[in-house]
Amino acid sequence: MANLAIEMIDVYKSFGKQQVHSGINLKIIDSAITVVVGPSGTGKSVLLKEMLGLIEPDSGKILVYGENITKMSKKKILEVRKKFGMLFQNAALFDSMTVFENVAFPLREHLKLSESEIEKIVVQKLRLVGLQNIENKMPAELSGGMKKRVGLARAIALEPEIILYDEPDTGLDPIMKDVIGNLILETQEKLEKTSIVISHDIETTFKIADYVSMIYEGEIKFYGDIEGFKNSDNQYVKQFLSGSREGPIKIF
Amino acid sequence: MQKFFEFFGKPVIDTMHLAGGLIVLLFDTIKWVFIPPFRFRLLLKQMEFIGIQSLPIIILTGAFTGMVFAFQSYIGFEQFGGEYLVGTVVALGMARELGPVIGSIMVTARAGSAMTAEIGTMRVTEQIDALSSIAVDPKQYLILPRVLAGIIIMPMLIVVDVFCGIVGGYFVGVHILDINKTLYVENMYRYTDLGDLYNGLIKAVVFGLILTLVGCYKGFYTTGGSEGVGRATTESVVLSCVLILIFDYILTALMF
Repeated sequence: MANLAIEMIDVYKSFGKQQVHSGINLKIIDSAITVVVGPSGTGKSVLLKEMLGLIEPDSGKILVYGENITKMSKKKILEVRKKFGMLFQNAALFDSMTVFENVAFPLREHLKLSESEIEKIVVQKLRLVGLQNIENKMPAELSGGMKKRVGLARAIALEPEIILYDEPDTGLDPIMKDVIGNLILETQEKLEKTSIVISHDIETTFKIADYVSMIYEGEIKFYGDIEGFKNSDNQYVKQFLSGSREGPIKIF
Repeated sequence: MQKFFEFFGKPVIDTMHLAGGLIVLLFDTIKWVFIPPFRFRLLLKQMEFIGIQSLPIIILTGAFTGMVFAFQSYIGFEQFGGEYLVGTVVALGMARELGPVIGSIMVTARAGSAMTAEIGTMRVTEQIDALSSIAVDPKQYLILPRVLAGIIIMPMLIVVDVFCGIVGGYFVGVHILDINKTLYVENMYRYTDLGDLYNGLIKAVVFGLILTLVGCYKGFYTTGGSEGVGRATTESVVLSCVLILIFDYILTALMF
């Protein structure tokens, strides 16, 4: 079996009375793209935040390269987080800084580089996501698609082992969706890292996924490679792929 | 019966929750004072924001407080021929009480509210999570510089505030109310000492801590989008002002 980047074992989480995760078991294969699909509001974003240690599960283990992060000191978690890069749903750019400062931020924080080295890396990362000559703009001046690309440049600035994408294609037009999908694939090919993508878009999933995991009602209802996902007999998967109202996934 | 307990119990539990939250945040933040990296640039930026940018409003409120106080105390003293004590009362009142309290409330309105709004917006737009995801502790990056800046800069602001109050009081007392200049100044010197100012400065340090800590706390735990940011900002200003008044009483009683 391939190496595991992340393993979640029996993870439970609830916010107040609302149970979000009721026993999540999930394996993320190293150096591959895993797409996590599922209807809106099923705790997919929470899943990513748990992997980063931003949200602590009520019980269960989360292993990142074999190390359990749920019982870790804050200082050690900060070290583990350096292995991660995350693209947030709305990019979450620091709005008091320019595009350049945003992408340079992780470099300045964690590496001792000269200004010219930082500039070189920032320009190179922005090129990688298809942007140039916008270094001095403020995030408020950018379109949604550009923000996401700057967010991605920031996420990969430190060349992390694991890149998390929280709904990278939501709210984009079909062309930009395709661009972002290609970007994830290209980034994966160039950096050969592990990617975890949250999506509810079937096209994107088919395009980029090596492995697919489907989450519903706080549990993993399906896990397998992309071919297995396409041809699955699983009732949940079938309903999701056909976009039908009828099936085990309830609308209310 | 259950309603009865709920009615009286909820405020008690909420207050305990709030006090606990503030104290935990305080200790979480203080811990970072000793752990590198030290962010002097952010500290200076916050000192500029809380301090320098508050100067105009502090000069204005200080001067007007002193001027009004001179008028009001004159009414009382004039009845038994004690006008020449107006200077003493203005200086004592400004240094021990009015300077720190009114000054801090003005800074709360200006800088405390802005802190909550800024940090709250960062929370609801996931910028705080983004900081964490880059392996930067948001308490160390956002809260520590603000709290330190508040503690350092508030006493300095209050010195300016008190000075302006005394000048304002002198102007009204000597030039408008025609109190004898020499008696005014002489009595002011005789009945006040530096201890009165230190008293006010201790208050200023505590109020600086309160207004920055509350401002950051309310921002840091904001929920509910832009409406939530608005609500948090209001709560932050009200809570800071209430706490400043409560601690003013406690400190006055202790240092009496």
